[in-house]
Amino acid sequence: MKKKLLSLLLVSAMAVSVFAGCGGGSGSSDTSDTGAAEESADAGEEAEAPAAEAEEETVNLGGTSSDPNTLTVAAWDANFNIPALQAAEKAFQASNPDFKLEIKEVSASSDVENAVTLAGSSGDMSQLPDIVLFQDHYIQNYVKNYPDCWQSLEDSGIDWNDFGAEKLSYSTIDGAHYGAPVDNGTSVFAYRVDILEECGYTIDDVTGITWDRWLEIGREVKEKTGKALMSMDHNGDDLPYMMMQAEGQSQWKDGKPNIAGNDTYKQIINVIVTGAQDGVILLCNDWTEYTDTSIIGDQVAGVFNGNWIIPTIEQNEAASGKWEITTVPTLSGSEGYAANGGSSLYITGNCEKADLAKQFLAYTFGGGDGAMATYDDALRNGGVITTCVSASKSDVYQEGVGFFNDQAIYSKIVDMGTHVPTIEQNDYHYDMRELVGNAITNVINGGDIDSELENAQSELEFRMEE
Amino acid sequence: MNKKSGVTRKQEVWGWAFLAPATILIFVMSFWPMIQAFIMSLKKGPAANMVWQEPLFKNYTRILQDKTFLTSMGNTFLYLIIEVPIMLILAILLAQILNNRDLKFRGGFRTMVFMPCAVSLVSYALIFKSLFATQGLINSALMHLHIISENINWLGTTGTARAVIIMGLIWRWTGYNMVFYLAGLQNIEYSVYEAAKIDGANGWKTFWGITVPLLRPVIVMTFIMSINGTLQLFDESVNLTNGGPSNSTITMSHYIWNQSLGVGVAKFGYASALAFVVFIMVGILAFINLKVGDTRD
Repeated sequence: MKKKLLSLLLVSAMAVSVFAGCGGGSGSSDTSDTGAAEESADAGEEAEAPAAEAEEETVNLGGTSSDPNTLTVAAWDANFNIPALQAAEKAFQASNPDFKLEIKEVSASSDVENAVTLAGSSGDMSQLPDIVLFQDHYIQNYVKNYPDCWQSLEDSGIDWNDFGAEKLSYSTIDGAHYGAPVDNGTSVFAYRVDILEECGYTIDDVTGITWDRWLEIGREVKEKTGKALMSMDHNGDDLPYMMMQAEGQSQWKDGKPNIAGNDTYKQIINVIVTGAQDGVILLCNDWTEYTDTSIIGDQVAGVFNGNWIIPTIEQNEAASGKWEITTVPTLSGSEGYAANGGSSLYITGNCEKADLAKQFLAYTFGGGDGAMATYDDALRNGGVITTCVSASKSDVYQEGVGFFNDQAIYSKIVDMGTHVPTIEQNDYHYDMRELVGNAITNVINGGDIDSELENAQSELEFRMEE
Repeated sequence: MNKKSGVTRKQEVWGWAFLAPATILIFVMSFWPMIQAFIMSLKKGPAANMVWQEPLFKNYTRILQDKTFLTSMGNTFLYLIIEVPIMLILAILLAQILNNRDLKFRGGFRTMVFMPCAVSLVSYALIFKSLFATQGLINSALMHLHIISENINWLGTTGTARAVIIMGLIWRWTGYNMVFYLAGLQNIEYSVYEAAKIDGANGWKTFWGITVPLLRPVIVMTFIMSINGTLQLFDESVNLTNGGPSNSTITMSHYIWNQSLGVGVAKFGYASALAFVVFIMVGILAFINLKVGDTRD
């Protein structure tokens, strides 16, 4: 009996130590797992529970540098935001020749976000670099929960009127600016004009139309060419968010979800469901399927997302010169403007050279003397488009782009960005996205739209209370 | 008399001295975090400055109303009920076959069956994912064989997504359990089988009359480990399907992860409470298993 109790205790220890690790926010304690399991196994073989290997490695963002002229920064995309940072380093070196920017490259934006969560949770910021780059939706939550992790940019001398208001609305907390905008999240609706032409349409026929008309055209395109008119990663479905923004509305109202009993929202979800059922909208299972299979794999005649999707579109070189961009359809048929994603640079609480960091950000990304040089190179080398209006006056922005049928897409995107309505944001943005995505799946599979939205709303409210 | 107790004492001191480092390490690295996790499970708010939950056990009562967690629990138990018996039966059969002395290339076959265990959980999940993608290898093979006329969305449909996860689990863990059975089988004297043969027992009878009873301790152990492992299933859910479609493949651990470090707003207190509930479940199941499996008292 005693032995039984002991083995029970050891088995339980093996189980809980994994979860204790999870709950505490550190990786799982592998050594003790194996130790406990080994003793409980009568055969004395090396034993390991299957999920005991489930550990997530925490990325070390490298901390700060001891050199007074060196700033460290973490970023994740070697084809996109890292060239932008390199461009800024070069631009700032023109006035500060000794300046150096150490860029720590991580593999995904979630690496930075996890590291911030861990640093904020543990109160140990020593691994945070001077400046971090992450997605705009997170900053409100981070400043609220980990206020010590951030330094405001209020006295940096950046002229905030020079930027798109919608972009700044994310990183402004209680009137204080925290983020230096890097890229532009303005959504584009890109179409394959050759395929539209095949079906008797031009880019103007899909500009400023209603979603119903858009679905009609989509069905025709699907029938004649077999291609969908749009695809989306349904695991992180941004369509409802962007489509609502194009209507000038938010999924949130006064800090509460605004989806159940919201007629506009119901119509939008209906468009997505109908599109998916008719094969006009291709809902992919994950991100890779969305980018590699549907867009690069040439299965769609249209792409609707933040303009950072453009480098992905350009990877299908066979379609060069056949794309053009325009605005978003709406329910009323007016031209819609939306934004999705985009990131900003934030100075962390671990930065002791705050003055240098502020100078650097103001001079480069903040619209200072080096802004044009920074943004021109960022666009040329990384396809990063600014929200800074004055920097977009440069020649590089006015050039036509061969891939997009010589359309001057960059200045068009910056211009579109100034029209994007500012809408209410919420910390629970990603929970909303997940639950609404589930609701859409259920409606496609035959669920009732009203009760599904009702469920999503109540589930979301449940998650928001603590 | 006096001298003897001195020796015993000396032995005891040395025994404890040898045990102490491991005991202290287990306590500090394993039991102490458990206690801290329990304290955390009674709190709420951002991890940097957590406050006590009001009422104190609210995180636990909240679990009962949490539909997503109940869904994840249902999914996990579904995997458990379907996958564990299939896997263990397959493992014991394979072990029986590979224990045959007349079989040629035994070592080669054993290595092959065990090989999947050398593959990292994440990589095998990603490989399964690309195999079962809508434009993946399985679909195009089935299309060319004219078995299906349209690509199947394996990972985007509830039933098939669950089936893929179960298939993956069986592929990955059968060989692992087989090794335990093989070791157990090799401890059974060959003469026992010869005696049974002389007495006229056929293969089936030998299996049920000799192999299974003699392997009982190993079977109990593999059962506990498989149950424990399945209840903590994480990698497959995260990497293969990301819990989708519509949370129909999400596991409990994946949900706990989502509540702490995944997308959305981190709730470490609630996640710890969930973890403790899973801990209690594993404890209960392991206890039942030990009770059923042990015939000694």
